[in-house]
Amino acid sequence: MNDSINPATPLVMHIDLNSAFATTEQQARPMLRGKPVAIVNRRSPNAAVITASYEAKAKGVKVGTRMMEAKLLCPGIIAVESDPLKYRFVFKKLIGILSDYSPKATMKSIDEGLIDFNGMAINRPMIDVGMEIKQRLKNEIGNHMRCNVGIGTNRFLAKTAAGLHKPDGLDEINSKNLRTVFSGMKLRDITGIADGYGSRLEAVGINTPLEFLDADIYTLEKIVFKGIVGRQWHMRLKGWEVDDREFKMGRVGRQYVLESANLKYDQIITRLHSLCESVGYRLRSQNKSARGIYVYVRTQRGYYWHKSKLMTLPFFSNKAIYNLSRQLFFYAPGEIREIGVHCYHLEDYDQSQISLFGDEIAREKNLNLAVDTLNDRYGEQTIHSAHTLESGDFVKTKIPFGGVRYF
Amino acid sequence: MNDELALREKVVVLSVFGGGLHPCKPVKFKRASGREIQVSEIGLVYPALRGRREIHIFDVSDGQADYRLEFDARTLSWYLTQEADHYER
Repeated sequence: MNDSINPATPLVMHIDLNSAFATTEQQARPMLRGKPVAIVNRRSPNAAVITASYEAKAKGVKVGTRMMEAKLLCPGIIAVESDPLKYRFVFKKLIGILSDYSPKATMKSIDEGLIDFNGMAINRPMIDVGMEIKQRLKNEIGNHMRCNVGIGTNRFLAKTAAGLHKPDGLDEINSKNLRTVFSGMKLRDITGIADGYGSRLEAVGINTPLEFLDADIYTLEKIVFKGIVGRQWHMRLKGWEVDDREFKMGRVGRQYVLESANLKYDQIITRLHSLCESVGYRLRSQNKSARGIYVYVRTQRGYYWHKSKLMTLPFFSNKAIYNLSRQLFFYAPGEIREIGVHCYHLEDYDQSQISLFGDEIAREKNLNLAVDTLNDRYGEQTIHSAHTLESGDFVKTKIPFGGVRYF
Repeated sequence: MNDELALREKVVVLSVFGGGLHPCKPVKFKRASGREIQVSEIGLVYPALRGRREIHIFDVSDGQADYRLEFDARTLSWYLTQEADHYER
């Protein structure tokens, strides 16, 4: 393990679209430019803000702020319903641009991309490459598009650099300026250090990023993080790569905030059924089956209830997911505000596995495959169970907060 | 307030086909009422599938309001599907 700051030339580039969905809407709809915009999944007072434009952020509107609160913070804020098609287009354009520069270009989330130039012959400064990408974004998507570009010796420093001068920054963190950059930051500005870790660090007298950088490995590994995470932070802060790894998909799920507080139990069940169909589709689209089912409810008073069950055999069909969810949901409390269904213990769906119920499983799989194919071609919920007829419009797939795995 | 109007209005569109970022550029369009709208800016152009049918969506503006035009590549027809205006600060 290396205790010193990584002296290598920074070759990892992080590209971060600014307030991605809001910027995309402002690109598409010029009349929104320069105005506070909030992207929401439903234009209702209770809807949570998915993305706020910089104009709205300046007034204190954040991700997760309810629209009724956002209007108090920022009178005149414009709520725009999310448009996944548009964001998918921008996402694909961006990944197309990034892929032109390296085979090791990936999207880390819906609005963040990463290019690893390590092992490649680069015959010009990385800053030039960053400027070119920023310009290409404008040329190939639209002139209102902006992004932050950060360059570092590892993913962490590249991302940190991308956050230094929002909304249109281009910064590099290297061994020479690392300490200067850290001296201008607060401990909780560091990506990954929220209140939990922040409090633990402060408890041992680490109050600034520079103190964190200089902390010895024993303190981090044995006292603060109590494990390998401490060693990883020790290296990460010094610019050594510890985050170059793929994470396996752990679960597939969806949640839904009820459109009204006055829904009857049967109406809530139809929405649960719609969620199960959506979760089933996502599961199968990843060629996965699941063994675990998890259902949760958040009540109007904020109480969180959940129940889960692990099955012996894997399942994948809408019917199985719904039947299992329904059994668990039976125990849910009343006054429901939000419901959610997740499948976990995912495994690759293996058709070669011999089962006593082979024919039945094959039939079920073929039926689900046919339904998925039709829905792929003719649009979401073209074919669905009759039971969800009334709920389908409400529980349409909306834009998720983070991942890109369904893109 | 943000007034968004969902429409399905067939419109006559004058377009220029050339190169650049937008090879097809709507220049102006005429609504069913006879009102002509001059496109001052094309915001975003992106494709969409409706079943097997390919649609090209043009988000445009005349400087007063934003409009969504959809071009059906199979029937070669244009529709106005959204109008959004009356933004207040």
